[in-house]
Amino acid sequence: MSEKITFKVNGRERTVELEGWERGLDVLRENLGLTGSKRGCDDATCGACTVVVNGEAKKSCVLLAKKLDGADILTIEGISKGKKLHPIQDALIEAGAVQCGYCTPGIVLELYALFSKNLSVSKKEIKDALAKHLCRCTGYEAILEGALLAQSKLKKNLSVKRPSRRFCNV
Amino acid sequence: MSLKYVGKNITRPDAVKKITGKSLFLDDIKLPGMLYTAILTPPTAHAKIVSINTSAAEKEPGVIKVVTGKGIDFLFGDNVKDRVPMAVDRVRYIGEPVAAVIAENPHQAKMALKKIEVKYKTLPVYTDAREALKKKAALIHPESGNYWHLPGMGPEAKTNIADHYLLKKGDVKKGFAEADLVLEGEFNYPFGSSAAIEPHGTIALHHEDGGIEIWSSSICPFVIREDIARTYKLPVASVRVHIPEVGGCFGYKSDVTVEQTIAYIASFVPGRPVKWVASRKEDFLSTLLGHGIRTKFKVGVKKNGKLTALQTTILHSTGAYVDTGLHVMRGSTHNSTGTYEFPNCYLDGYSVYTNTPPVGAYRGYGHQESQLGIERMMDMLARKLGMDPFKLRESNYLGPGKMTALGEKLWESNGNVKKCADIVRKKIFAGKKKKEDADYYYGRGFAAIMKSPKGAPFSSKSCYLKFNVDGSVSINMGGAEVGQGLRNVVRLVAAEALKIDPSRISVYTEIDTQFSPWEWQTIGSMFTIQGGRAVVRAAEKAIHQLKKTAMQALKCDYDMLEYDGDYVFLSSDPSVRVSVPSLTQGYMTEDGITIGEVVHTTSDARLPRYSNPDANGQGSCGVTYTFGAQACEIKIEKKTGKIIVDHFASSFDVGQVINPIQIRGQVVGGVVMAVGSTLYEEIKFDADGVCPNPHFSKYRFPTINDAPAKQTVEFVETPGKIGPFGARGIGEHPVIGVAPAVLNAVYDATGIDFYEIPLSPEKVKAALDAKGDR
Ligand code: FES
Ligand code: FES
Repeated sequence: MSEKITFKVNGRERTVELEGWERGLDVLRENLGLTGSKRGCDDATCGACTVVVNGEAKKSCVLLAKKLDGADILTIEGISKGKKLHPIQDALIEAGAVQCGYCTPGIVLELYALFSKNLSVSKKEIKDALAKHLCRCTGYEAILEGALLAQSKLKKNLSVKRPSRRFCNV
Repeated sequence: MSLKYVGKNITRPDAVKKITGKSLFLDDIKLPGMLYTAILTPPTAHAKIVSINTSAAEKEPGVIKVVTGKGIDFLFGDNVKDRVPMAVDRVRYIGEPVAAVIAENPHQAKMALKKIEVKYKTLPVYTDAREALKKKAALIHPESGNYWHLPGMGPEAKTNIADHYLLKKGDVKKGFAEADLVLEGEFNYPFGSSAAIEPHGTIALHHEDGGIEIWSSSICPFVIREDIARTYKLPVASVRVHIPEVGGCFGYKSDVTVEQTIAYIASFVPGRPVKWVASRKEDFLSTLLGHGIRTKFKVGVKKNGKLTALQTTILHSTGAYVDTGLHVMRGSTHNSTGTYEFPNCYLDGYSVYTNTPPVGAYRGYGHQESQLGIERMMDMLARKLGMDPFKLRESNYLGPGKMTALGEKLWESNGNVKKCADIVRKKIFAGKKKKEDADYYYGRGFAAIMKSPKGAPFSSKSCYLKFNVDGSVSINMGGAEVGQGLRNVVRLVAAEALKIDPSRISVYTEIDTQFSPWEWQTIGSMFTIQGGRAVVRAAEKAIHQLKKTAMQALKCDYDMLEYDGDYVFLSSDPSVRVSVPSLTQGYMTEDGITIGEVVHTTSDARLPRYSNPDANGQGSCGVTYTFGAQACEIKIEKKTGKIIVDHFASSFDVGQVINPIQIRGQVVGGVVMAVGSTLYEEIKFDADGVCPNPHFSKYRFPTINDAPAKQTVEFVETPGKIGPFGARGIGEHPVIGVAPAVLNAVYDATGIDFYEIPLSPEKVKAALDAKGDR
């Protein structure tokens, strides 16, 4: 039994026909070709598939695809504007947080959702958000450093009043 | 030597593609006409296959073909040909492929898999080498005596011994007779998974014209190419292997693992590419595991702290197939001396077939398993001798003029362990130890480490370097970027050697055996040292070519010329010069006649004089060594037994830092990985060889909250003679000293000796309670 769902991805409205078994990650990767979201586990533990759904960071591998009907989704493909990287991306690169890069898109989106909701989160809150992600390469030090750097970059940006982004008032 | 680019923080060339999600990993590849496969594994780890019924599965929607191993008439393997791509008449481990469905999409393949009926007759299951070695144990490979193997290694017929390596130095009996104190200890480093976040995967395509094409998230394209060619009796040139971006490796994506299986499955649908990507469970159980090594140590020492003899037994539960595992055992055996000179050694290693997934490379390659033992032994010996453990170690450190167990003499250029030890000692032991309080015990621990690469006779790396018309440079190599940052190493070393800005150098992004120069495989922390050397040699050749053409253009002698990256000029009069771009495709003279050659070069580099072991197990099989030291401050929560690593310090003598941010990242990441092994991670097997925890939710993997609150990382830079600008490797080293440093700290905190990891809170709590009861 096929079923159609319509939702927004990276600002564009998309309609997808489902067979019924698909999860959000399958739709993004297979139906829409948005392969920046990664699969790293079978039990919603690694965070590599994290995307922003209606402003919240969500593990797309467990989201039933049909529940995405009407949702507003941001994936890694929608976070930079052409060659202009988002400050979170700049900061993570600067901190040396990118090694194999497999965990990276999910972490970028986690931080995006976190900082969009509240840019003044504490270091502990940043760590709690990052604790939803597994990274085998970095030992997390550079990721945390990058996250803190991103926070300060975004705060600076806020003070010069950049035009607002979707979901993100920073 | 003053260096302009090497040693500087220059951003890695692949960062933007990765952070925008645009790097293509194996699972991101979609080929026209692609089919998907799902693989059936058995419910028990050791059994005869009585029958397989595939007819119901064949009728399922989307199913193209159901494949079994019936009739497979070949074995494969690089060291020992003991492997089959799919079970033929028996299964030997829980992740072994028994049958596969090829379907239009992965979901259909998985659904149809459930319709395959297999009848098994169970056989005795051995998940530990000690059981498989028992006299009456059933043979896991009854025909192992007939297997092809490389000379000097391989199974002992009619036993479950898959490989035996004995290394002798001096006279161990005499050594123990000279000792004032002899101490023994047994240690265990259980199974673990490299567990890269990207699971392993492969796409295989048998072309209608007979050629085979493979895409794999592997680090050994050329090994795969040669292995597949042998199996399908093709010229090696007819097999093409692509390596896309690899999402972490840490060892287990080396050697041939799943590629033969997927190639076998795809052989049933010529003309259609077949994709398989492991689930996490499959990644744990159907690729390669790590460790599974038990060690026994017997150490002799004189009252003055001079070590006299070492006897070790390395018992490796190598899994159902030994091909990839025997070198891990061998590395573990010859490195069981740690960083110490023993005049007399008897180091005895066994790889034993067990009904567990095959063990292969895991970052550290046998080193951490046996150095857990020796570094714990050093602390325990010092205690027995009433001697300062640092002093005991210092009296025996390997260094210039000393001989390793392999009989290799060391030189200053091999690095300085004492300097590393002094650094971490100062960081961790300088102040007073924190006093026990109501909630915590506090402790500090230390371990020195030695790492030798794991070479092989043909372990070369090659480089193809070309100058473009504008003087920019393109470099192509066969080394796999798995996150460790080798592309940046290549770029910085080339920039330094060619004296041009790194922004003018582009480094290959994927490996394709059709275009990439040959490389054995990217293992053993050897890329910087060997690959870097290949880059320097290619650069030197290119400069030579530029000068040869410039000599004609400037009408002068070759040895009057100098090169500065932009120009080749006369050393006596730099104004007489010719620009590099004008030389790259040959030099066009005023009348349009072009002279000279296109500037592109190839080169290779291997570890000098690697040799197979001699009758005593000795030889130049370590080739080059790196030394280091690690130490930590921990606290143990009294209530729970939970160990918290507050501060971890590491120092390695790497010869020359190539990129400070990246090398710190390697060390910090490696330490956290080994904290995982030490405190949490273990792949378990029950009596049927079934794994109860094949998922991240049950295989506790360190998160940011488990990482040491603070890491100190410092490097000693005693230049080496082989690597570029004196550099040595670093990839594996950080994992080696973590377990012994932590366990030594646990003793310091509690007075309890542990010999086994992972050290779960339950184990610590139980030991604390038992101690309290006494
Ligand atoms: S793939 Fe979704 S959490 Fe791992
Ligand atoms: S960078 Fe490799 S898993 Fe995080």
